[in-house]
Amino acid sequence: MATVVGGGNGEGRGRATVSTPLTRPTRPVSGPELASPPLVVRRREEEETVVTFPHLVWREFLAGLLAFVFLMVVSIQINAPLLQRANTAITPNPAKAPWYFVGLQELLERFPPVMAGVAFPSFVIIFMILTPYIDKNPSRRPQDRKVAIALFTVYLCLAVAFIVVGVFFRSLAFNWDWTRIFGHPALPSPV
Amino acid sequence: MTEHLGDYATEMSATPGEVNPVRAFVAQLWGSIFRHGLPTTDKVAARTALTNFFLHIHPVRVKRSAIRVSYTLCLGGLSFFLFILLTITGLFLMFYYIPSVDQAYQNVKDLEFVATFGLVIRNMHRWAAHGMVITVWLHMARVFYQGAYKPPREFNWAIGTLLLLTTLLLSFSGYLLPWDQLAVWAITVGTNMAKYAPIAGPYTRYLLLGGRGVAQGALIRFYVLHVIALPLIGFLLMVVHFWRVRKDGFTGGL
Repeated sequence: MATVVGGGNGEGRGRATVSTPLTRPTRPVSGPELASPPLVVRRREEEETVVTFPHLVWREFLAGLLAFVFLMVVSIQINAPLLQRANTAITPNPAKAPWYFVGLQELLERFPPVMAGVAFPSFVIIFMILTPYIDKNPSRRPQDRKVAIALFTVYLCLAVAFIVVGVFFRSLAFNWDWTRIFGHPALPSPV
Repeated sequence: MTEHLGDYATEMSATPGEVNPVRAFVAQLWGSIFRHGLPTTDKVAARTALTNFFLHIHPVRVKRSAIRVSYTLCLGGLSFFLFILLTITGLFLMFYYIPSVDQAYQNVKDLEFVATFGLVIRNMHRWAAHGMVITVWLHMARVFYQGAYKPPREFNWAIGTLLLLTTLLLSFSGYLLPWDQLAVWAITVGTNMAKYAPIAGPYTRYLLLGGRGVAQGALIRFYVLHVIALPLIGFLLMVVHFWRVRKDGFTGGL
C-alpha cells in the first residue's frame, strides 16, 4: 500500500509534520476494478473543519451588525466636518492634508521634496509588494521571524508617529506646537 | 415532480394521493428560490453553501482555526462590509449632490439641514470611510504578523497592497467633494506632493486637477474617480483577492 503524506498547499512548511495513521479500506480488495483502491489521506489538523455556513457566515453577520450599530451611534453623535465654502483667496493656516497623508506632509517638512514626496512613498509601496518575494523564511511562527516582525513594527510605529505628530503637534505654518494638546500657560486649557 | 426542488419541497409535498395545489405551488416557489432547507445538518449546510450565489464566495468547509475571531479579528470582512456600506450611503448622497463649484457646497448643506436623514447618512459615509482606511491598515498588519503572505499567497499580498492604495485614493478623492475650505486646501496640499516628482510631477498634478489649481476641472475629475473609476477598480481587485483566498486556502491558526 502506497503511503501518502498530505502536504497540502504548502501548509505547515517549516514545522515538523507528524504523519498520522492513514485511513485505509478495511475490506480486502480484489478484481481489476479495485486495482487502485481509494485512499483517504488527511492529516489530523485538517480534519478539524467546520461548514462555513452557518459557522463563518454567522460570525460575519455578527461582526457586520456590531460595526453597523457602532457606526450608527457615532454618526448620530458626531457630525462630519464642514467648514466655510471653499475660497481660494483665503488660505487656512495651517493647511493640512487628510490625516492618512499627514505623515507624508510631515516627511516633507524634514526631507527634500523629491525624497519625501516621491522616493519614500514609491520605495514603501514597491517594498511592500515585494515583501513575500524578499522574505524567504518559510516559517510562520513568530519566534522564527524576529527580524521581519521587528522591521515591520518599526515601520508601523514610524507611520503612526508621523501621523500623530502631523495631526496633533503641528500648528500655524505647520510649525511644532505643544500648546494645541497641553494648553498654553496664559490661556484656558483647549482640551 | 418534487425531485429537483430539494429537501424543503419534499417536506412540503402533500401526502400520497392528496395533492394540495396551494402547498404544491408554495413548495415549487420556495424550492425554486432556495434549493435547500435550513442548515439542520452539515450535509444540508454544505449543499446550501455550494448552491447559493451569495454564499459560494466561501468554501464549503474551513479549518476551525482559520475562522477564529481571535485569529482574523474580522478585519478583512469588516473592510468589505464598510465598502458595501459606503457604496449604499454613497448612492444615497449622489441623489442630492451635483459636482459643480456653484452648487456642491449648497448640496452638502441641504443634505445636513433639508434632506431627511441626510445628515446621518453623510456622517456615516464620512466615518465609515475613515474606518475603512483603518481596518484595511490593520488587516494588512494582521496578515503580516501571522506570516499569511508567504507562499503560495505572495501575489494575493500584492493585490492587497493595491487595495490599500485604492482605499486611500477613494478616501482622498472623496475629501474634495464637499467643496469647503477643509476639502479644497487638503487637496491642494495633497496634490502639491505629486508636483515634486522629477519631470513627470507637474504634468501628473495637471492631469489630476484638470488645471493649475483646484477648481471645477478638479472637482469633476475627483467626482468621476470617486463614484465610478476607483470603486470599479477596487471591486475588481476585491473579487480577485477573495477568489485567491479561496483557491490558495485559508492559513489557519499558528
